[in-house]
Amino acid sequence: MISNKLAAEIINLGSSTGADFVEIFFENTFKKLYVLENKELNEMSETNVYGVGIRLLKKFQSVYGYTNDLSKNSLLKLTKELSVSFNSEREIPEIKEFHAKKINKINKKVNFVKDVENEEIVNLLKKCSNTILNYDPRIVRCTTSFSVKDTTNVIFNSKGEIIKNFKEYSRLGINSVASENGKIETRFDGPGSQLGWDYFTKNINLEEISYENAKKVILMLNAKECPSGRFPVIIGNGWGGVIFHEACGHQLEASSVAKNLSVFSNMKGQKIANDIVSAYDDGTMSNEWGSNNVDDEGNPTQNNCLIKDGILVGYLIDDFNGRLMNEKGNGACRRESYKYEPTSRMSNTYIAKGKSTKDEIIKNTKLGLYAVSFNGGSVDPTTGDFNFGCSEAYIVKDGKILEPVRGAILVGNAKDILKHIDMVGNDVALGQGMCGASSGSIPVNVGQPTIRVDDIVVGGRGGSINEF
Amino acid sequence: MNSNKFFELAKENGINDCELVYTKNNSLSISLFHREISNYSISNSSKLEARGIFNNKAGFCSTENIDSSSFNYLINGIKETAKLIETNEEPIIFKGSEKYYKKNVFSKALEAWDVNDILAKLHKLEDKLRDCDPRVSEVTVDFSKDETETVFKNSFGLNLKQKNNSFLVVASLVMKVDEEVKDDYSFVLSSNPDDFNIDLLVEQVKEKVSAKFNGKTIKNGKYKTVLKRNVVSSFIKAICDSLSAEEIQKHSSHLEGKLHQKVFSSKLTVKDLPLNKNLFFKYFDDEGVATYNKTLIKNGVIETYLYNLTTAKKDNTVSTGNASGRGSRIGISFLNLFVSNGKSSLNDLFNKIKNGVYITSIQGLHAGLNSNSGDFSLQAEGFLIEDGKITSPLTLITVSGNLFKLFNEIIAVGNDSETSFSAVTSPSIAFKNIMVSAS
Repeated sequence: MISNKLAAEIINLGSSTGADFVEIFFENTFKKLYVLENKELNEMSETNVYGVGIRLLKKFQSVYGYTNDLSKNSLLKLTKELSVSFNSEREIPEIKEFHAKKINKINKKVNFVKDVENEEIVNLLKKCSNTILNYDPRIVRCTTSFSVKDTTNVIFNSKGEIIKNFKEYSRLGINSVASENGKIETRFDGPGSQLGWDYFTKNINLEEISYENAKKVILMLNAKECPSGRFPVIIGNGWGGVIFHEACGHQLEASSVAKNLSVFSNMKGQKIANDIVSAYDDGTMSNEWGSNNVDDEGNPTQNNCLIKDGILVGYLIDDFNGRLMNEKGNGACRRESYKYEPTSRMSNTYIAKGKSTKDEIIKNTKLGLYAVSFNGGSVDPTTGDFNFGCSEAYIVKDGKILEPVRGAILVGNAKDILKHIDMVGNDVALGQGMCGASSGSIPVNVGQPTIRVDDIVVGGRGGSINEF
Repeated sequence: MNSNKFFELAKENGINDCELVYTKNNSLSISLFHREISNYSISNSSKLEARGIFNNKAGFCSTENIDSSSFNYLINGIKETAKLIETNEEPIIFKGSEKYYKKNVFSKALEAWDVNDILAKLHKLEDKLRDCDPRVSEVTVDFSKDETETVFKNSFGLNLKQKNNSFLVVASLVMKVDEEVKDDYSFVLSSNPDDFNIDLLVEQVKEKVSAKFNGKTIKNGKYKTVLKRNVVSSFIKAICDSLSAEEIQKHSSHLEGKLHQKVFSSKLTVKDLPLNKNLFFKYFDDEGVATYNKTLIKNGVIETYLYNLTTAKKDNTVSTGNASGRGSRIGISFLNLFVSNGKSSLNDLFNKIKNGVYITSIQGLHAGLNSNSGDFSLQAEGFLIEDGKITSPLTLITVSGNLFKLFNEIIAVGNDSETSFSAVTSPSIAFKNIMVSAS
């Protein structure tokens, strides 16, 4: 830890050459990982991530440094090295003392996993694994894992604020491999939360999640190859929200918007999506996977409306990139650890509830694909070209769900796709994932109700969809 | 750091066999935007990682909080984690190889590279990028320099050290014509500052972006294809992941039971050359075993699987020096892959396929490629090849297929090798067919 006295010394040295903002980000994280392979725990580790990141800003310039040597000499040396990047007079007054910034506790106190006995966690993994391995002999390998990460952060800044925050992320990973006649299929499910141990023992039904994992990996093992071409695609709720995450969310982050490197730069107030599409990024949902009391520069998290009835109304902004946009940060500044300079990122991002039921959407589809679950995706924010790969999909014909198909990928361009969302369901759900970008890998929720895209390029190894 | 004290303390706690790895890293990164330094970042960090055997099970603990209490934290961590382990796999702390082929790969020139000289070159690069074409709408320049020192010690007295450094420059360019926006990047990854060739970076990225305008779509179907070297590298990496003995032993690799069999085209030869003196040189693996150069696939025949100590013991063989990662269990990975060059130039490859597609980049590998089965469906970019020549660009297409089938149907291998970020050196290759979807 750093004393207030040393923090003031660092900040005052950092601002001595003209920086207009100085911040110290302290982190002490304890991680545990448990891995069960088939029926035995075969891997476990404990890790302590510990260090400090120091950030100096001057107008549109940022300098950042980090170290795990928290001795006074080391921290002052690092600050000195950073401060020589600027060479003007002091612009902000010296800090004499700090005051604790009042923060709204979004995340309620829970039964933390850190207080749970190791054996209980191992037993939970065994239950999941047994369900999967007992389902079908074609499941040749099942790896279940549990990770828990307890982080204490203390942020000091040149506004004289101290912000203290604690968070605990815990996540289960269920990975099964099925094999038959040279074909291999894998499936991953990863429920995660900040709700502590109760989430896994009370809130979700692990038996059902494990059973579904096993059922789906066998189903997809013998599925036909997905047809390719352009046709309507119904995208399932929950994890289906990865389409909005890739096709739009990243392009609304100030890190690319501010530099005019996003397809949606300078488009606030303009229509970018069909009228029936509204979308939010809400960091304030209590104990959700992507939520936080404060962001990683100490600003309170917010429920940010991004798209309202098809109109772009807001971006995800951190204080630094906000300077280029003449806007203040809106609680969206995040980082994986002290080793990353923070920047604008998503939290819990979702397309809002519409009017159609899932059944109506399926009934209204003559010929297309119903993509239920996904492996993930990626995007180039500058061009808006994105892709995402399906792990579970079905052919829909004459309003009915037919057979499963494997190996589908959807590709498109952000500017087009949002206008092609022609039906929005009323069954909003969230799905947990890890999002990787310049400030590291962070927990985010994606989400949406069932939606339909009337025209998108689908890649697969099958022939034409008309053959179904 | 007194590692003997650690080993003594471990012994007192019932951990006779253990290893301690100390890693120290220094880095510098600089980004330019609109002719100013937009980001400047420096770091120095270190880490202690300890693996040990307690009651015949392996435990693992690591920390960045390095002070007088670190050793106690690590030892308690080893005991706590080992207590839970159930597998009957016998954990192994390695006594040492007979001979290690240590080489000095640390670049003193890079260490001494003056930051003002780096900045001057980066500014010059940005200026040249901005001025290279009237269609340029945005430019970014990113630089990073890393220095890593690893010290591997264990209770058998093994004491291995390696120091590496490298730098990376990425030049990104955005061009805009009416509503059409195209972007790409060029890069240099090296340990020799003289390899930072400004004009070459500008020329490469300008050519890449310029060629992307006025794209067209093609009919869905099977096409002959040339995959550019960077695309081949990504695919070869996935294929070699399937050579891991752990995947084989656990029945999750497509290459199970295929040792010494011809699985790929006879035109394909792949080697793992960790002792080649490039950026990915490594003379000991993550269990302390001496690495060596070896052929993995020779003229399409699988010559060896990749082993660490545990999987080798199971198959009654010896480690290939491919242990990778840290934890109570150690994984397996290739270290420095090389696909052998053929004789064809890139133009020869185009002439050989005559009509087809040239795929220059693929996206979404983590979601669209199953390295266990080899099945892939990926977003791609490239060009149409007509009568042996590049004609129209193709954007927003998908390519699908199966890696194992694809690499069994090679038409010809190019001679234009390049080393990728992920330690794979490969030339471009022409293949008999790939499924393309665009319309």
